[in-house]
Amino acid sequence: MSKRVAFLFLIIVLLGLTGGCWSRKELSETAIILGAGIDREPDGKVRLTLQIARPAAFGATEGGGGGGGGGAMVGTVWVVSGTGETVFDAQRNLSLQVSRRLYWSHNIILIFGEDASRQGVREVINFFSRSPQPRETMWVGVAKGKAEELLTSHSAMEKSSAQSLGFLERMKAGLFVEYKDFIRDLACPGTNPVAPRLELLYRGRHEGPVMELGPGYHKEAVLTGAAVFKDDRLVGWLDESETRGLLWLRNLIKKGAVTVPSLNEPEKKITMEIIRSKTKVDPYYDGEKASFEVQIRVDGMLIEQQSKEVFTDPEVMAALKKSLAADVERKARSALEKARDDYAVDVFGFGEAFHRKYKKEWPALKEYWDEEFARSDVDIAVEVRIRQSGMQAGRLSIRRGAER
Amino acid sequence: MARLVVGLGLRFPGKTLFQYPEIILGKAAGKAVALLYLWWFFQNCAENYRSFISFLAVSFMPETPLMVFVAFALIMASYGAYYGLEVIARTNQLFLPFVIVSVVLLFFLSVPEMTVNNLLPVFEAGMIHLVKSTAAPLAWFGEVVTFAVFIPYLNRPGQAHRVALFGILGTAAIYEMTVIGIIAIFSPALTAGYLFPVLNGARIIHLANFLERMELVLVVIWTVAGVMRVTLLHWVLVLGSAQWLGLKDYRPMILPVAVILTALFMLIHKGILEEYYFLAWVWPLYSLIIFEAGLPFLLLAVAAIRGVGGKSG
Repeated sequence: MSKRVAFLFLIIVLLGLTGGCWSRKELSETAIILGAGIDREPDGKVRLTLQIARPAAFGATEGGGGGGGGGAMVGTVWVVSGTGETVFDAQRNLSLQVSRRLYWSHNIILIFGEDASRQGVREVINFFSRSPQPRETMWVGVAKGKAEELLTSHSAMEKSSAQSLGFLERMKAGLFVEYKDFIRDLACPGTNPVAPRLELLYRGRHEGPVMELGPGYHKEAVLTGAAVFKDDRLVGWLDESETRGLLWLRNLIKKGAVTVPSLNEPEKKITMEIIRSKTKVDPYYDGEKASFEVQIRVDGMLIEQQSKEVFTDPEVMAALKKSLAADVERKARSALEKARDDYAVDVFGFGEAFHRKYKKEWPALKEYWDEEFARSDVDIAVEVRIRQSGMQAGRLSIRRGAER
Repeated sequence: MARLVVGLGLRFPGKTLFQYPEIILGKAAGKAVALLYLWWFFQNCAENYRSFISFLAVSFMPETPLMVFVAFALIMASYGAYYGLEVIARTNQLFLPFVIVSVVLLFFLSVPEMTVNNLLPVFEAGMIHLVKSTAAPLAWFGEVVTFAVFIPYLNRPGQAHRVALFGILGTAAIYEMTVIGIIAIFSPALTAGYLFPVLNGARIIHLANFLERMELVLVVIWTVAGVMRVTLLHWVLVLGSAQWLGLKDYRPMILPVAVILTALFMLIHKGILEEYYFLAWVWPLYSLIIFEAGLPFLLLAVAAIRGVGGKSG
């Protein structure tokens, strides 16, 4: 008898649960956020801009342009923007505009507007760590101007500008910063955060007559360098070339090219493609002044040559390597000098390297590390090794005998 | 600590932690010590399960009432306790390889995200800080005291030392692996701020753009391990309270224990922050000093002086 009662009880309990889970979120009731932007209003309020995927449109575009040639452009995303005292406050205010429950887990990129960054991002990032939804792997960027404008831009290549920006960072050609790296740099003494600079520029154009309904150009959101922070405040920018230097010094170079003029014919250029590189930072401290020895080692492949030198000659090769090394050093130095001399911030993690080696001296220095860094000497030594020369040993297109 | 506990167990073959204090200290004092232990196991079980629920609630189901988790775990735990230690152990045998493999797998999947430099410099903080911060993990390993309840039920009690040591070393290895991995990923500065850093660690795994959302593996591990733990401690409590009351069969105690546990689960903490503080600073010292080192040592010392119990181990 009692067994039967228990069984009945169990069935009733289980029946109560067949309706689903408590915290369920149905796909058809959620608004998936693809990109988020944070700006500050003049009155100090937070303006949150969200780029939300429109699932219906996503399906339609994959169907293969069923709408007919040059038919109406269907937006794949919808952008909403609202203000509030905090990020979440702004999000709650947005729920009067968005008919579905906002869902953060698929957010690709978090963009800080220039104003918000200059005022300090620490005030506005807490939500992204505290809420369980946003992921640590979302990308971070700083807009030149308003984050809102970037998120409302159109991407010709990807389905939305947020996706496009995320994929641009993922290519690792420019600076790439995940949220977890950003907050790590913010939390660790001995370094300052950086983030890619995002800008709206006329880039690329539409093809031929079919697309000529609108203007041939439109503004695309692209990466144009790096934003330099001092603690949580934006203090300045690095241009594209200096950003390469930043990547060299941070040991983040994944791919790319180094181009130098030819030794004999300076108007002609030679390009090496980077295969791999490694940067090592050795700090030294004499009790008064910190100094750093940076060693950059590059393995590369000769990929393009406009001139006619023969690189099987060891002397020519040595001279080329030297010239390539000098170019890498110049870029690294330009980033270093901009950050150290103009902005007086250590964005290279040199302070952390110092901390690892001089843990006794560190506590006294860490409070004003950036000043200490600003008066430090940095020595950069670059070693280039050319491992491969593509599919050629010499140039094929040159007539025999004309080589020298 | 493990030797202490096993040494005690082997002196009194066939008796559990709830029975031999009486032999050692006499009726009244012995009952009191056993009652203290009973209380500690109640608390231990509640703390353990509460932190397990907090994990699920905080990270995945913030709106779900705690009662739902509690009810389900206790139904399962009561079921386990009803069938006794062997069933619990066999179930664990089934799940343990899965759990261990998953933990190791998660560790290796997150290797690309790790930076060894985050771990350096080591031993920066100084000895005092180091000793203070080892208290929490030590207290956690100290829960090997639970072993004192199983010893009489081992098929080969002679191997108790070996089994306990192996268990502790195995757990310590996994624990160390996780801690080092997480710090290498997030740096100490960030790790300190997270409530469940391992979850954040699992979340960042992304390989080749398709292997993502590994935190669900973690949830499975956490659920399996959490429920196993509650079941085991439930059984310990049921058995302990029955022995303390002198009952012949422990099964009538299943329901009362479940009711007390439910209340404890719900009442033990007001919120996650209070729980975090309690588990980090109060609980370790409390359980380490009194229950995991102090009382077992006292019992063994008195037993040796009074010469009760057989010589073994």
